[in-house]
Amino acid sequence: MTDDAGRTGGGDGPLARARTAIETRSLTALAVLTSAALVVAFYYPTATVLIEAVVVDGAVTVSVFAEVLTDPFYFGELARLLSGESPAAVLGSLLSPDRRLGIVGFTAYQAVLSTLASVALGLPAAYLLARFEFPGRRTLRSLTIVPFVLPSIMVAVGFVATFGDNGTLNAALAALGLPPVDLLFTLEAVVIAHAFYNAPLVARVTTAAWESVDASAVETARSLGAGPVRAFVDVVAPQVYPAVLTGAALTFVFTFGTFPIVLALGGFQLATVEVFVYRLVRDLSYAEAAALAIIELVISLGVLLAYLRYEARNSTSTRGARPLPRRPLVPPAPTLRELLPRAGLGVYSVAAGILFVAPIASMILASVTGGDGALTLDHYRFLIERQQTGAAFQVRPWPAIRNSLAFAAAATLLALPMGVVVAVLTTRRYRGRTLVDAAAMAPLAVSGIIVGLGLLRGLVFGVEIAEWRIAASGAVAIVVAHAVSGYPFVVRTVSPGLSGLDRSLVESARALGASRARVIRDVELPLVWPAVVAGAAFAFAISIGEFTSTVVLATGADAYTMPVAIERFIGRRLGPATAMGVVLLVVTGLSFVVIERLGGDHRGL
Amino acid sequence: MGSERAPGGDGRGDTAGDADGADAPIAVELDGVSKRYGETAAVDDVSLRVREGEFFTLVGPSGCGKTTTLRLIAGFEESTSGTVRFGGESMAGVPPEDRDVGVVFQSYALFPHMTVGENVAYGLNFADPPEGTTRDERVADLLDLVDLPDATDRDPESLSGGQQQRIAMARALAPGPDVLLLDEPMSALDARLRERLRAQVKRIQSELGITTIYVTHDQEEALAVSDRVAVMNGGTPEQVAPPRTVYRRPATRFVAEFVGDNNVFAGGVVDIPEAGELAVDVDGGDETHRVAVGGDEEAEAEEATATQLPDIGDRIAFCVRPEHLRVASADKPAGGETGAPAGENALRATVASAEFLGETTRVTLDWGDRELLVRAVDPLDGAVTVGFDPSDAHVIDVESR
Repeated sequence: MTDDAGRTGGGDGPLARARTAIETRSLTALAVLTSAALVVAFYYPTATVLIEAVVVDGAVTVSVFAEVLTDPFYFGELARLLSGESPAAVLGSLLSPDRRLGIVGFTAYQAVLSTLASVALGLPAAYLLARFEFPGRRTLRSLTIVPFVLPSIMVAVGFVATFGDNGTLNAALAALGLPPVDLLFTLEAVVIAHAFYNAPLVARVTTAAWESVDASAVETARSLGAGPVRAFVDVVAPQVYPAVLTGAALTFVFTFGTFPIVLALGGFQLATVEVFVYRLVRDLSYAEAAALAIIELVISLGVLLAYLRYEARNSTSTRGARPLPRRPLVPPAPTLRELLPRAGLGVYSVAAGILFVAPIASMILASVTGGDGALTLDHYRFLIERQQTGAAFQVRPWPAIRNSLAFAAAATLLALPMGVVVAVLTTRRYRGRTLVDAAAMAPLAVSGIIVGLGLLRGLVFGVEIAEWRIAASGAVAIVVAHAVSGYPFVVRTVSPGLSGLDRSLVESARALGASRARVIRDVELPLVWPAVVAGAAFAFAISIGEFTSTVVLATGADAYTMPVAIERFIGRRLGPATAMGVVLLVVTGLSFVVIERLGGDHRGL
Repeated sequence: MGSERAPGGDGRGDTAGDADGADAPIAVELDGVSKRYGETAAVDDVSLRVREGEFFTLVGPSGCGKTTTLRLIAGFEESTSGTVRFGGESMAGVPPEDRDVGVVFQSYALFPHMTVGENVAYGLNFADPPEGTTRDERVADLLDLVDLPDATDRDPESLSGGQQQRIAMARALAPGPDVLLLDEPMSALDARLRERLRAQVKRIQSELGITTIYVTHDQEEALAVSDRVAVMNGGTPEQVAPPRTVYRRPATRFVAEFVGDNNVFAGGVVDIPEAGELAVDVDGGDETHRVAVGGDEEAEAEEATATQLPDIGDRIAFCVRPEHLRVASADKPAGGETGAPAGENALRATVASAEFLGETTRVTLDWGDRELLVRAVDPLDGAVTVGFDPSDAHVIDVESR
């Protein structure tokens, strides 16, 4: 090999040159395609809705905003402050017992309560997962992701089955001879349901931070004279605390924008902003809905921004040299200091176990229990009858299953390449990277109602471009909406893997002659393949469980999915809804097994 | 003449520096200490005594138990059996915070959420600064000591690895510990920086006169800074001695091969021509070689090196350092430039490869089916003769018949 024949690889023909050209530009091309998809599927539709809040009858105005902001119905006593009353008077009425919070105030209030409950429930789990060793610890750690992808409407049904008048909780209380409690349509039920969703999230981020505390740092503090408690307060807590705040901030944002849980468990009497936006949309008050949605978005983004600024100031990169050794769950010595925390964890585990298992178990139980309390398959029979004899306007089970699976598969196929491209673009370092990151992640922050509405009025009703009327079917719009809400999770699972890859792997491949796109295909993707599969599972699960934008887009169309079907069935007896919930649970579970199998075959590592 | 050797061996006269420390009281004592994880013993029945003010090093390959030994001394681990004593007092059940030790880790373990000043001051929350000094003065003094006087308000992560290591050192020293424990504090740094820092660590240690126990896998580092070295293998120290003794009179084959380059020969003793000298039929050789035994009292004073005197018929192993193997081209007359004496312990070998190291060249020779390492000044090639002085051979193992 005396010349460079090996390098050019006999690629002098026009075909080979074209291929090289495509390869070198394919990353750019994919980036452009992804951006275009985002504009069509997210930015344009969202903008068309939001613009209604400030453009009335063709003129720009802030009157809609002003009305919303000064309406005590939305802002409670704060509205009076915004409409010019003296702060002292407003403060006085805020402190009085019969204060009005308004819808926004109530939404923030329940979000704060939900956040506190999630942190209180999540921290002991993090302590257990980060500091103790026991069989099944890894499995339990992985399971903390499950509530996050459970279809919210199904969880809501599970909660109704648990806390409802004839729910398992009251059945258990009756068996103990205690009076029944009525938790349904109360703030407590909503807060508990939110904790069900978000406590595992708090536990996850906190566990990760706790595990990355360097044991050497704790040992150094000990050697310098700090006792075990003092070392925890001075060294461990400051490194875990930011993660708890991360979990809390995310929980606040998620619960501030909550929709299906409140719709099913709270009804309109406990309406949050998002529920009210939905109601306004149904009443065709688009301008007011848009204004309210913008205010919601501003508050959510404000919290996220404040949090990100805090994080930037307090971020410390942990070297993660040596994690703290885990303690065995079986106490090594029967001393009070060893027994007390374990006893506490035992009590916690029972309570948490009930909270996390009860809704699903109750739903399954309710689906096979008749009105008289006897075991029955009536509810499933109802589903079959409805399938055979249901009228055209009625929701039938099979189309819901078929639609759900088809939409989820299509949405995953769309979300996966988008997510991978964005992950590649945001793990590389360049100016303006944070901007790209933020623009790509925006779908997470914007109300699903607004996205749904934008797609409905933009894509489904059609857009006129140069005398061509371009309109998509409701099904296409749903797939697009699902892909948009699912792909940020692909980004979030693939990015850490990509940024964790040794740069010299990429550089070696480049030096050997591979184009940037080839390196992604040949080196990076195979190495992060498990994360890609996990991302696909995420996108699929998000799509299957998506309710908010689907319920908007499925109006009138027959493109309803399983979650929509569940919601329609709730109106009647609970039985059919729980049966549909079990169907959703089984279909989702089987899909996960299939994705795991498909992905497992070409696992790169 | 190529090498300067005193007749009667090099082992003499290197204890002057240690002798005055030999009477110092024992600061740290390990008495039959073992640490077992299930079936495996990380530390196996270790007994050691570290004198006050001594720079004592635990050196060995990874997994030899040196770090576990240090962690047992610091109190981060409980020993399975045996006792750790500080100044004669048992440390059983005494938590790390009550042991008056300062620890520097390989990762430095600077608290990332505190400034450099806060890091150094942390131990002063639990111990008073020396009389007449305030907390701030103490921090400033220690930052001066490690040559980073202006670092007080800096963020630990903004410092280089070497600077972080020095801050970790200052932090460990601030409360005035009785014993300083260093766990591979330099292995994350580059070679040049490591050399500079180890000199600084040594300077600070002798300035303060603090008892220091140092863990490293780098035998060169161990030889450079220590008053005494414990060479560990498989959870036990194979030799505890001053660096020169460890280098010149290794107690075991493991020590001989772990500390520096070495050539180990095995063979049977065929004759004892005179007291202190053996005639050995070396495996793989075709001549009988003469090897000196005994004659190094100071090495025998260190109990670990004591080996029994071999008899005729015993099998022995002995080692000769590469720099003590004199080598000359085979076609050159004996006693030429490289000074290989004729006839004495001569071996014939061929040059396999050479690494030019600057001062010398490290040459690998093929000798039969095994390799020999020699140092050479001039380039070598082809067939060579190799010789060594009987007193440069050191017996490391005797197997009685």
